[in-house]
Amino acid sequence: MSEKKISKWLENIYNCPYLILIVMSSVIAIFSFDEIGVRIIPRAISEERAVSVVGDVVKAEEHQTQGEVPVTVEEIQNPSMLDVPNQDAVLKNPQDASENAGERRENTDNIAETNIQNTDVEILQAPEIEEEVVKGVTKFMPYEPLEIESRYYSDAGKIALTTEYPYTIENDSYFNDAAFLGDSRTLGIYDYVGLSGADFFCDNGMTIFKLLKDDGVTEQGTGQKVDLKKVLQERQYGKIYMMLGMNELGYGNTSMYMQEYMSVLKQIREWQPQAIIFIMANLHVSREKNNMETEFNNININDKNVACARLANGTDVFYLDSNPMFTDSEGFLYSEMTFDGVHLYAKHYDKWRQFLMEHGVERGESSVPVLPADAGSESGINETAVPENTGEAVPVPVEGVE
Amino acid sequence: MLFSSVEFLFRFLPIFMIVYLLMPAKYRNVVLLAGSLIFYGVGEPYFVLLLVISVLINFALSQYMFWEPKSPQNNRKLKAKKRRKRALILALLFDFGTLFVFKYWDFAAGNVNGLAGSRIVPLLSLALPLGISFYTFQMVSYQLDCFWGKVSKRAGLTAFATYICMFPQLIAGPIVRYEEIAERMTERRIRVRDLENGLKLFAAGLGLKVLLANQIGTLWNTIMTAGPGGLHILVAWLGALAYSFQIYFDFWGYSVMAMGLGKMLGFRIPRNFDDPYVSRSISEFWRRWHITLGSWFKEYVYFPLGGSRKGNTRTICNLFVVWALTGLWHGADWNFVLWGLGFFLLISLEKRTFGKWMERSRVLGHIYTLLLIPATWVIFAITDVRQLAAYLGNMAGIHAGRILVGAEQFVRYLKDYGILLIMCVIFITPFPRKWYHRWKDRWFMVLLLFVMFWWSVYEIVVGSNNPFLYFRF
Repeated sequence: MSEKKISKWLENIYNCPYLILIVMSSVIAIFSFDEIGVRIIPRAISEERAVSVVGDVVKAEEHQTQGEVPVTVEEIQNPSMLDVPNQDAVLKNPQDASENAGERRENTDNIAETNIQNTDVEILQAPEIEEEVVKGVTKFMPYEPLEIESRYYSDAGKIALTTEYPYTIENDSYFNDAAFLGDSRTLGIYDYVGLSGADFFCDNGMTIFKLLKDDGVTEQGTGQKVDLKKVLQERQYGKIYMMLGMNELGYGNTSMYMQEYMSVLKQIREWQPQAIIFIMANLHVSREKNNMETEFNNININDKNVACARLANGTDVFYLDSNPMFTDSEGFLYSEMTFDGVHLYAKHYDKWRQFLMEHGVERGESSVPVLPADAGSESGINETAVPENTGEAVPVPVEGVE
Repeated sequence: MLFSSVEFLFRFLPIFMIVYLLMPAKYRNVVLLAGSLIFYGVGEPYFVLLLVISVLINFALSQYMFWEPKSPQNNRKLKAKKRRKRALILALLFDFGTLFVFKYWDFAAGNVNGLAGSRIVPLLSLALPLGISFYTFQMVSYQLDCFWGKVSKRAGLTAFATYICMFPQLIAGPIVRYEEIAERMTERRIRVRDLENGLKLFAAGLGLKVLLANQIGTLWNTIMTAGPGGLHILVAWLGALAYSFQIYFDFWGYSVMAMGLGKMLGFRIPRNFDDPYVSRSISEFWRRWHITLGSWFKEYVYFPLGGSRKGNTRTICNLFVVWALTGLWHGADWNFVLWGLGFFLLISLEKRTFGKWMERSRVLGHIYTLLLIPATWVIFAITDVRQLAAYLGNMAGIHAGRILVGAEQFVRYLKDYGILLIMCVIFITPFPRKWYHRWKDRWFMVLLLFVMFWWSVYEIVVGSNNPFLYFRF
């Protein structure tokens, strides 16, 4: 190469520092970061991360959920629930139940009818409960599940309904000792429901995995990031409302979500022995937003809802499903109620307020559940039992009451 | 494929550039064409066929326009004229027909059915092919230029196809006229400095898009998520402002990226924006906003109709046609028509009365423009007419019910977006562009652009790796 050519090349190189910087850094980046490199498999990455969070517990859980329908501890402990005399009877008249519950059931019936073909939806009557121990029951309405090929979720094949319980109708002051924990939708409750007495701990993008972590959660009102662990140890709440699951749709999988939800509940129960915990259903998304090709769809949301509804025990943990208020007969969020297909317009939160008011649980000192001594169910939270415990002797109510 | 995606930045672009630069100059058009079809085909595997067919038909018709039969005839001149006209009409019918079917059919059918009260015209529910509005306008401009004899040297098939499909401007413009790049189409040299400057320009555009537009867009989304109707007047204006910033930086960023890529490929792509928000009148705003679209309408609609030379009534009529079409071009919905006609009203008023006065005054003109532009963008953004009315009502301080998003949220938004809003205000002034041109070769600017590029990439990766973070619930 002639000297002239070399000097020209050198001049060129000197004249384009930016090009060289970008090219070199890009080469380095491509070979060192999976996100922009050739080996990009984003799903695998988030999976790996998620696994490292929860650890080996997941494997056991996965193993279990694949095999059979898990039986709840509650059912084992209360055999009366399993041999209710009229277990097979179809609930003929929904109006038998309280008016509110009847309406809601009708609503959800529609979902089942339109979504699922050839399934006779049978809702079984609630077991008769002795008067001294008023215990709520969380029912699941089965339908024919779809085949889902996703590492994040499967079709639960049932819809969780609001825990049946003689709720009381409350006023604003009921919420003075309440705390709300959640994501952007809970932020919506803070912004537009106007429950000034309650404390709100929520952030956009909050997940059950992040809730109790050191990074903290924003306490609305003050706008400060607080460590929820500390707050829950320092202040005592009468009611704790939780709504989390949207930002978990593409993270880990449903059993990990449930596992984490359970351990968070246990932790909260330890710090807040008196609190009544309300697990609120994650609101479905609109038809436009529902995308079966990604994880972002109502089947996944329903899967998450069923998972957290299982944790409701009907005594001090309740499951509240607000979906029937805002969704059409196929379970899609009404398009005219939302801008982005995910969040409700501010004006529709009034309905939600009404719903929360109508689902009050009053507890006198005496009826606070006595915590059992054994460590496993110390929290009083409905836990999924490991298969060994159930054995074969326990009949599994596959459809109907669960 | 989006410019602001990992696939484009770290797969397509490097591989394409290496192939493109290694090829001898005479094959570069073919490489560019093939690359562009891949670029388009990855996102639109079926509509790429429509694009290819459109290009072939348009090319055939433009050839037919100047086809000279071998056997000489007496009235050859007359026949040639007829043929040219026929070819032009066929081309326009095909181009606008395709655009109509894909973009406007359902809108038109919906309106006809609504008027008739029954379903007399079926809806097609076709997806909109990416970039069809842009490439259709380019093809039409080529046909008309050929017809009017404005093309000095007509394109061969490869050149024509490359001109239409060139990936820097295929999807969202700028709408380039063939004359503007004809010379470079046949002969272009790419110097290392072009690569350097093109890449810098690209990074600047990427920053505008990812670091400003995307970020401020979440403020508009947040406010719209709460829903029009119950917005405090300040919140409503803040939302309108946020959307005005978003749409500007989004589109400007895209256009700057296109210019940068064009430079890297050896072309000069014209600029599309000239600091539109510092205009002193709406007419001036449109001379500075989406310049290539404005000049397309001026060149191919307004002037052929007679422009402003045929009397006042005719001028107003011509303006009406141009602005109704400009509105419709942006989308098939009544709010876009309303939006276009709003500009018609303002620009005609300015032409007849206060326009000159506004442009002369230093302060008043700016205030006037800055108050009106966000309101026009709200009309542009909200497709649902009832919601639009509610939002505009909120901007005027009218509320149907109680205020749901009030002063408290306004303060929170300011706290969350304050710095970003200040950055946006700085970037609508001409200064950042001037600073860029003055110092683009200095080491600190190189470093700044470098940081900006990787920051943008970081934001893209965080968004695309976990789309649920990106939605930011």
